[in-house]
Amino acid sequence: MVDLHARVHATTVIGRRELAAGVVLMTLEAPQLANTTRPGQYLMAIPPSAQAAATALAIYEAEGKLASILFFLTGKRTRELAGLRAGDRLDVVGPLGNGFDCSGDARDVAIVAGGVGIASVLLLAQTLCRAGASTRLFYGARTRELLIDAQRFADAGCELVLTTDDGSYGQRGFVTDALARSRKPELIYACGPSPMLRSVARIAAESGVRAQLALEETFGCGVGGCWGCVVPLIAASAQAPNFPPAELGGSDVVYARICKEGPVFWADELRW
Amino acid sequence: MVNLRPSLAVKLGRLELDYPTLMGSGCYGSGEEYAPFADLSKIGAIVLKSVTRLPRLGNSTPRLVHTPAGMLNAIGLQNPGIEWYLANELHKYAGRPCKLVGSVAGFSVDDYAYLCERLAARDEIAAVELNVSCPNVASEGETFACDPHLTARVVRAARATTDKTLIVKLSPNVTDITAVAREAEAAGADALAVINTVRGMAIDVETWRPRLGNITGGLSGPAIRPIAVLAVYEVAQAVQIPIVGQGGIENLSDALEFFLAGAAAISIGTANFTDPRVPERIVSELQAYLAQRNLGSLEAIVGKANVELSTPDQYEGDEG
Repeated sequence: MVDLHARVHATTVIGRRELAAGVVLMTLEAPQLANTTRPGQYLMAIPPSAQAAATALAIYEAEGKLASILFFLTGKRTRELAGLRAGDRLDVVGPLGNGFDCSGDARDVAIVAGGVGIASVLLLAQTLCRAGASTRLFYGARTRELLIDAQRFADAGCELVLTTDDGSYGQRGFVTDALARSRKPELIYACGPSPMLRSVARIAAESGVRAQLALEETFGCGVGGCWGCVVPLIAASAQAPNFPPAELGGSDVVYARICKEGPVFWADELRW
Repeated sequence: MVNLRPSLAVKLGRLELDYPTLMGSGCYGSGEEYAPFADLSKIGAIVLKSVTRLPRLGNSTPRLVHTPAGMLNAIGLQNPGIEWYLANELHKYAGRPCKLVGSVAGFSVDDYAYLCERLAARDEIAAVELNVSCPNVASEGETFACDPHLTARVVRAARATTDKTLIVKLSPNVTDITAVAREAEAAGADALAVINTVRGMAIDVETWRPRLGNITGGLSGPAIRPIAVLAVYEVAQAVQIPIVGQGGIENLSDALEFFLAGAAAISIGTANFTDPRVPERIVSELQAYLAQRNLGSLEAIVGKANVELSTPDQYEGDEG
């Protein structure tokens, strides 16, 4: 399956804002990218120095001519990107990956976001709210300062449940504890660190709710060419790659590419 | 009069390529993955991901870690096995605007012969690369390329089953790569791919655990380029058959190093992960480079590194 919209875009940095220490929101003029991005998709940012592999980043906003990326400074590659200023050029490849499936008829949905995972769910929240779904955002961060841009989600129409690990804002503790304590939704969407996603998967299974999880992993190519970013998936999944079944020497569980078959998977189809 | 369109065509055995650029096995999928971002008609060939006799799930995760000037990988030859591959996969690759080179990996001499025989009749692929040097499988993977005689047996067995061009991918993880190269040539190889990844390891100092699920991996990217250039240079002195140089090629300058060292063609892998436009850019800049020097073809620079200049006298007074 070739993504008809994915291509290399020469974008221009329009704005760059530090939303918290080490957290950068960068707005790009990228009309074609903005027009074709679906919730949960990402881009690969080509480093201007060409000195490292491209960096996979969630597309945070996409509206009109503008798309944005929201990222934490975690290493050399993100620091290089953060050094860009308004007017600089940034080439990106995107939009990539299969995003969230919003086609269902769930009317009461929960979005669970942990830390940098928030970057993957704004477009989702906007889409769900626009479609009239009652949308609760369970958003957890380590501290009050790292609860970023929550107002945007309120503006979109989400009900907010905020948590911090240290109790400096909202409920103290893990965001998944807040999820477990709350009214059972019809569908859960989640993006965040792997332990959080595993917790979401467990809570979803125990309460009989399906969940879509946006996974993160170190990417090589980011476009499906290298099989470096994989997760075990049941072969019966519609997203499973072409592989022989167990009776033909294959397997009931196969490694699927997070960048290509994902990054969003149904929690009950993962075997991780 | 400047020749504006020097020929970049190369011949590897009977494989004729319009451009001297191959996309490294396991780096470029089947080309479909890159088709939205790269003009496949401007590359020479895609070397497909290696296929084995039986299906392989591949290694546990993590399979990749970025390292200074490169990347460690341990994918573990994930593939559906030759039967499934021939029945349900390969036909989808027909009609690519560039040549396709199949890649086979085995765990015995017989595996290579069997896999080459099965591929021999398939028109989708124009040549076969013998991956005798995968560093990331639990047993045997790399031992073929580490033993000149075993390499020779693999090549001879494969040669007997197919008329397709055979490219043998050599490992840098050996004491004398030229010994393996000579044996491969004598056994009937049409070309040599030099080099596969360099073995490496990374450890997370917080958890004290290896950063790859497979513990060890293969290092690629610019970090290994000088190792690869030397290997190409040495192998070029040892054999007559063409060499596909590879290891950290990111731009024209890198590519030229390999051609000058003796590579007839180059293969690009990890650089595609930085920018999918790299292969096309190298081709157009290479054409301009040759045109500026009024060289009619790429052949004019292959193996022309002028080592005669490097006499001790030239460096008198220099440090080291």
